[in-house]
Amino acid sequence: MSIPLGHYLILSGILFAIGLCGALTRKNAIIVLIAIEVMFNAGILNLIAFWHYKQFAVLTAQMFAIFAISIAAAESAVGLALVIAIYRHYRSVDVEEMKSLKG
Amino acid sequence: MNAAFWIISAITLVGAVLAVTLRNLVHCVLSLILFFLGLAAHYFLLRADFIAAVQILIYVGAVAVLILFTIMLTRNVTGTEGPREVLGGKWWAGAFIAAVLAVLLCWAVRGDKIAAALSAGDKAKSSVVEIGKILIADWIVPFEAMAVLLTAALIGAVVIALEEIRRRP
Amino acid sequence: MKRLNAQRSTLNVRRSTFNELKERMEHLQQLARQQWLIPFFPLLAAAIQSLLKREQRKVSAGLAIGALSLSCFVALRAFWGTMGGGHGGEHHEVERAIWNFTWLKYGDNGSLDMGFILDPLTAGMAAMVAFVGLMIFINATGYMAEDENFTRFFCFMSLFAAAMLGLVVANNLLLFFICWELVGLCSYLLIGFWHFKPSASAAMKKAFITTRIGDIGFFLGVLTLYWQTGTLNLYDHGRGALEQADKLAQIGGWWIFSMAGLIAVLLFFGAMGKSAQFPLHVWLPDAMEGPTPVSALIHAATMVAAGVFMVGRMFPLFTAGAVGGSTPALDFMMWIGCFTAVFSATIAVGQFDIKRVLAYSTCSQLGYMVMALGAGGLVAGQFHLLTHAFFKALLFLGAGSVIIGTHHEQDMRKMGGLRKYMPITFACYMVGMLALSGVPPFAGFFSKDEVLLVTYHRSKLAWGLATFAAFLTAFYMTRQICMVFFGKWRGGEREQEHEKEHEEKHEHEEDGHGHGDHEPHEIPWNMWMPIAVLSVFAVVLGFFATPFIGGNLFHRYVAPEEHMPEGGTGTVMVLSIAVGALGILFGYLIYGRKPMEHADEPDPLAKPLGGLFTCLNRKWYIDELYEATIIRLTMACGVLFRLIDELVIDGILHTIVWLTKVISQFFHWVGDEFFINGGFDTACESVRDSGGLLSRLQNGRVQNYFRVLSIGAAVLLVLYFLKLNP
Repeated sequence: MSIPLGHYLILSGILFAIGLCGALTRKNAIIVLIAIEVMFNAGILNLIAFWHYKQFAVLTAQMFAIFAISIAAAESAVGLALVIAIYRHYRSVDVEEMKSLKG
Repeated sequence: MNAAFWIISAITLVGAVLAVTLRNLVHCVLSLILFFLGLAAHYFLLRADFIAAVQILIYVGAVAVLILFTIMLTRNVTGTEGPREVLGGKWWAGAFIAAVLAVLLCWAVRGDKIAAALSAGDKAKSSVVEIGKILIADWIVPFEAMAVLLTAALIGAVVIALEEIRRRP
Repeated sequence: MKRLNAQRSTLNVRRSTFNELKERMEHLQQLARQQWLIPFFPLLAAAIQSLLKREQRKVSAGLAIGALSLSCFVALRAFWGTMGGGHGGEHHEVERAIWNFTWLKYGDNGSLDMGFILDPLTAGMAAMVAFVGLMIFINATGYMAEDENFTRFFCFMSLFAAAMLGLVVANNLLLFFICWELVGLCSYLLIGFWHFKPSASAAMKKAFITTRIGDIGFFLGVLTLYWQTGTLNLYDHGRGALEQADKLAQIGGWWIFSMAGLIAVLLFFGAMGKSAQFPLHVWLPDAMEGPTPVSALIHAATMVAAGVFMVGRMFPLFTAGAVGGSTPALDFMMWIGCFTAVFSATIAVGQFDIKRVLAYSTCSQLGYMVMALGAGGLVAGQFHLLTHAFFKALLFLGAGSVIIGTHHEQDMRKMGGLRKYMPITFACYMVGMLALSGVPPFAGFFSKDEVLLVTYHRSKLAWGLATFAAFLTAFYMTRQICMVFFGKWRGGEREQEHEKEHEEKHEHEEDGHGHGDHEPHEIPWNMWMPIAVLSVFAVVLGFFATPFIGGNLFHRYVAPEEHMPEGGTGTVMVLSIAVGALGILFGYLIYGRKPMEHADEPDPLAKPLGGLFTCLNRKWYIDELYEATIIRLTMACGVLFRLIDELVIDGILHTIVWLTKVISQFFHWVGDEFFINGGFDTACESVRDSGGLLSRLQNGRVQNYFRVLSIGAAVLLVLYFLKLNP
């Protein structure tokens, strides 16, 4: 029963790192977006864990989580629309090929 | 309850790892859904019921579906690709950084007094009624802003994805 | 005055005498407050004249004469005010009214004062200076009539008159010194009035430098006096410098001189310079290069008398601590004066320039005055000063007339027989000559007699030499009279030869030489009128000091506390008359009976005296001596210092410059080229290279950006953790 807060924090940290690893490593743009979703969720888990252990009397953290999720959804929608648009242009979703902004 | 935590954590981790590692895109999305469900279970454990429900509804219901659609629309890059084409150039740099960050984060937590706090148990309650009340009362402005944002995202996504279609002869 | 003398010791009389005394003192005090006007009028005139144009001659002359007349009026009024004092009886003291004021303050309680004094000495001298000056100014309007720098002349003359009068009325050594120097400056300017003549230019420099040498001593004396007494005021209700003279006599000074004596000797050096006493006399004959009115005013009557006046003013310092009636300072002065008197008189015998004779005569008479003062006779010295001023000015103006009348001829050998052509000048000149020679009843006799009398009581040797000088005086004046006014007019000879040459060479037209009429002519009225007035004074003035009329008036007026010497009066008087007569006789015998026929004849004395005459003519070669020693030394020092300047100082300068150039080259090479330019170039290149390097970061690949971002986040996290975990 007694799971200290620390375990949740470590869990979310590892999840975040996994997501980051995926974002930095994979070639496919969609996988990058998936990995970003993973990072996002790790953060929200952190938020809720803190709510549970520390601030459970006030619901501010839950509101935060609601809005974060909403925004994440909107962002993933726009991101995926971009991937589609890019696919139409480049005929591929390989991030390595999208370097015309090279300076 | 400890066992529940560990099991659910294991499921979540597996889901996350598979989501970023698998070669097949659809398999990635499916493991992503598993990840989402694991997180929802965690939220239930943490007695944030509403958030768990919202998680499932939005993430599994909308975002994952959306990703599937995108996969379908950008179809010809899927298939059997070798590990060399799965990972980007200099992938070890990214992996290393992620590992470093993981270590840092874990190390930060260790020895922190706050991190030793114990579960609040039944005391932590989240009532939908309560959330509804403060959403309309205290958090009305962010609520409306969210509405605007979602509208904008909607229109934006449509515009971005749509233009190419119109240009087709 | 006689009234006061007759009243003696009843109490009522004393009281009324006391009230009268108080009234007199108040009256004198009032007059003393107006003393500043005397030098002020000519100063104002000089200031206005300095702004006038060259053509405004009448304005300039009018200003000068008008201002000096005003000063004369004020001085005479003051003089009148001081008369009637010096009552007889026991308690006789010189009446003195002073008016001091603070000129500027410095520090907390330091201040520089100025002051004016009105006492008989000052009043008499001021009146004399103003009056003689006025006469000379009027004469000068005629003398300088043809000169084109007329306006400038009167400007300088006014300035000189202001300075001299300021010197006379000053009660304060600072004011005195300022006027002293101003007088020297005006002398310089006026001697070199015709500065385009090289001889005049040299003479003005010589005069200034020689008097300056004397002024060094004077200034040292002033400083010492200020140091010892703490005040520059001469009389200051008991605090003045001269009033502390007795105290100073107790302190030891240097060698045989007490402090008072030392100061007195230092001050006397200034008098030696200004009044042309022996070693510093060389400038006075050369000063004759100036116009004759200048010679009359400055180098006969006033400026050269300033030294003697100064000694008279500072007399308490000289007489302080007197033992047996003399102090070492007084003795020193007496011997210098005596020597100068004889020395200059001998030189005057051998001169041919009319003005030179008079210059050396002035020198000699100044020696007389100084000698008299040195013998303790303040009265005798000042009286001789006054009378000498009148008849020497008269003689110089007469010489000026002769020069004008003979068309600017100054060599006596070329004159002669002017008695016929210039009778008025001749008459006045005779009066002056007789006065100077000491012939009774002219003024010079009485004053010279006084001088010889006090000298007799001090030192028989000095008296003997002075008598010999009196003989020489009479002799050379007779010589001059004979050469100039008697005999035949020799001036035409040169001109006749000149004319013959003219006729041979070209047509005899009206040439610019001014030989229109070859004969001398009499001078216009504005020149002989002042001379006549002065000659009247030369006769009359003597009677103020005779023992006949009511006792010795001048003595009682100037220094009633001085003790008149007794005895020997008769001997001295008889001998001085005899000596004067002898001198005239000898002069007549040698020069008058057989006057010179031609201008180029040698002097009748030349053959018998031979080399001695040449010595006399060449002024005992003093100038040559100075030239050979002091001037050569100074020039050698100049050369030495120029060498030092060129070699040492310029050498150092060049070395410093060279060093600076080397250092700057070094810095240019190292600092500028290597570091700054090189550094700048390197910096620019490195910027370019780093830019190239950094641009590789922007490879357009988002994943790379993300990686970098993560690295950054990780670093931040590390930093954050390092802070939190100690």
